[in-house]
Amino acid sequence: MRALRPIVATVAVVAVLAALVLLSLHHRAPAPPPAGAEPASPTPVPGKLVLFFPGDDALLHREAREVPELPAAALPRIRLVLEELLAGSREGFAPAFPWTATVQAVFLDREGDAFVDFSAPPPDIASGSEIEMTLAFAAVNSVVANSPGVRRVQLLFGGHEVTTLGHLDLSRPLAPSVEMVAP
Amino acid sequence: MLRVRRALPLAAASVYSAKLEERRGSTFRHGAMRKRIAFACLVGLTLPLLAAAITVTTPAGPKEVFARGDLLDVVALLRFAGADVQFAPAAGSYGAVTPEHQIQFTPGGALAVVDGRLTPLPGPLRLVDGHIVAAQPTVIALLAPLGWTMKGGAGAPELIRAGAGEQIEVSVVRAPTGTTLVMRGTKQRPRVVASQGSVALQFATPVTLLRPVMPESELLGAELRNTTLTLRLASGIEVTGTYPLDDPPRFVVRLGTATPVAPVAVPRTGPLVVLDPGHGGEDQGAKGPGSELEKDITMAVGRATAAHLQAAGVTARLTRDGDEAVSLTDRTALANRLQAAVFVSIHANASLARGAHGAETYYMRADASDPQAAQAAARENASAPPDTVQLILWDLAHVANLNNSARLARTVQEKLNALQGIKDRGIRQAPFVVLTGATMPSALVEVGFLSNAEEAARLAAHDVQDQIATALAEAIIDFLRAPAPEAAPTQAVPPTP
Repeated sequence: MRALRPIVATVAVVAVLAALVLLSLHHRAPAPPPAGAEPASPTPVPGKLVLFFPGDDALLHREAREVPELPAAALPRIRLVLEELLAGSREGFAPAFPWTATVQAVFLDREGDAFVDFSAPPPDIASGSEIEMTLAFAAVNSVVANSPGVRRVQLLFGGHEVTTLGHLDLSRPLAPSVEMVAP
Repeated sequence: MLRVRRALPLAAASVYSAKLEERRGSTFRHGAMRKRIAFACLVGLTLPLLAAAITVTTPAGPKEVFARGDLLDVVALLRFAGADVQFAPAAGSYGAVTPEHQIQFTPGGALAVVDGRLTPLPGPLRLVDGHIVAAQPTVIALLAPLGWTMKGGAGAPELIRAGAGEQIEVSVVRAPTGTTLVMRGTKQRPRVVASQGSVALQFATPVTLLRPVMPESELLGAELRNTTLTLRLASGIEVTGTYPLDDPPRFVVRLGTATPVAPVAVPRTGPLVVLDPGHGGEDQGAKGPGSELEKDITMAVGRATAAHLQAAGVTARLTRDGDEAVSLTDRTALANRLQAAVFVSIHANASLARGAHGAETYYMRADASDPQAAQAAARENASAPPDTVQLILWDLAHVANLNNSARLARTVQEKLNALQGIKDRGIRQAPFVVLTGATMPSALVEVGFLSNAEEAARLAAHDVQDQIATALAEAIIDFLRAPAPEAAPTQAVPPTP
């Protein structure tokens, strides 16, 4: 029996230590999740999007697209819509953006104004009011058409609010343009 | 009261680790040494954590907060201030929500959306060891909308309710006549001390800002220190007037140009037309496949249009005389200063759709007539002095201009449509910067697409440029001669099939 004492003592110590470790893990304040980490999501729900791309007539044309997972929450849905838009048309329409843009951040306020931060345009970006109009309203129309509750969209570039890219006033949220859309 | 808890320096942990290494092997078997090693491990692991924590005094007592140097854990402090802070993984942003306010911010950025308004922060937010951290001024800017602030500096930070001083809200109202700042939340009439590039508003007792002051073109920023709110002004801007308002109590500061710009004297008997050749200088605008430059084409068309107008007895001025850069707002400002009857901005287009071609004419979109300025002005209508009323009148006049701008755009487009080889793309509305703030009928004409090789070559030809200039001049003269209808439609007209 005496021979078993060290073993029993060791097992007891290990058990106490394990309990302490588990307890400390349980009580530790949850660290903020790292940016970009996705929470465990339920079964993906496929869905359909309507995107707007510029055609040869420089008007915006609707392009329906099926996606394997359509988020129900507004922010991931807006991000998905824009990433699909930036990925380009599958029906031969022109790209919406004249540079390889990425979505850096998305905000949404209680008034239904979404703020989307795109990567900054290169300094030698092609200029033209039509390019700016299609860029802006391809993004605005696509977001508003696919995101219930979103009324307007303000475009930010490189983490900054911009007044204009050369023509269009981008200093405030834009409502979608119906007249830019091809009949 | 708050203390930084750095009981032992970080170096102590590394000394322990070094000693551990020395002793490893020779004395590892001895029980006493094992205890020392265990203790050293404990100290070595724990000390860095302690060194990264700072104790912040809050109304609920001292709280430990992650810190790295002068950078404090933003999320923890917002939670202590009563906000529910959640991370939105897909957007990469955090949201801090209280029943009254909502703040969103992103690690790596220096912007926040505070109650729907984009707000620049004094410094960036950083992600360090899984914590969002920022320097104290940035933390204060995020806490301010929630009615909280910090004091005591990095050594002894204290989280307090901002109600310790009067909480003021500063609204910025922008109008062509200048920028107006309206301060609410205090009956105090601050002493105004102006200096080069800034003005200090000295209050008798401490005040806090409900939310950061939004900078704009004339107001570069604002800094509050105890009883003094310092406004940093753009070059050439000064305080042109201050006055208190009652019910509710407000204090108004008006900003304007240091030297009032007198209207340029232009001897003329008839109406004046300001033509704006788009782009110029380093801003080349669109570029055609044959190296045709938009700035050259707009200059040529602008000069020719001015010549045709002068020949018809109509005084015309250009916003630029040669290949020079002129800001968009300066172009509109010139037309306003000259009290022009018509403002036409001339451009050539570009599209990523290479087949796009044709001419189109834009006028200002109604929802871009600065509704924020109008709303802010409307809020001021109680006991409003005449200049505040003028803000409202200006906005009404600006909206009324849309009718005449639509008529001008239609007239221009009809003349262009009559030219051989130009596709009618109709008239449209868009919030173009150069049309914003114009106090006269104004339009922006895109005479064709430089991204289309065929059209670019045509637009570069002198005879085509002169045809377009003739059409523009005829349209402007027709517009000036025709009586303005009582109520013209303001909706855009689609292109003819």
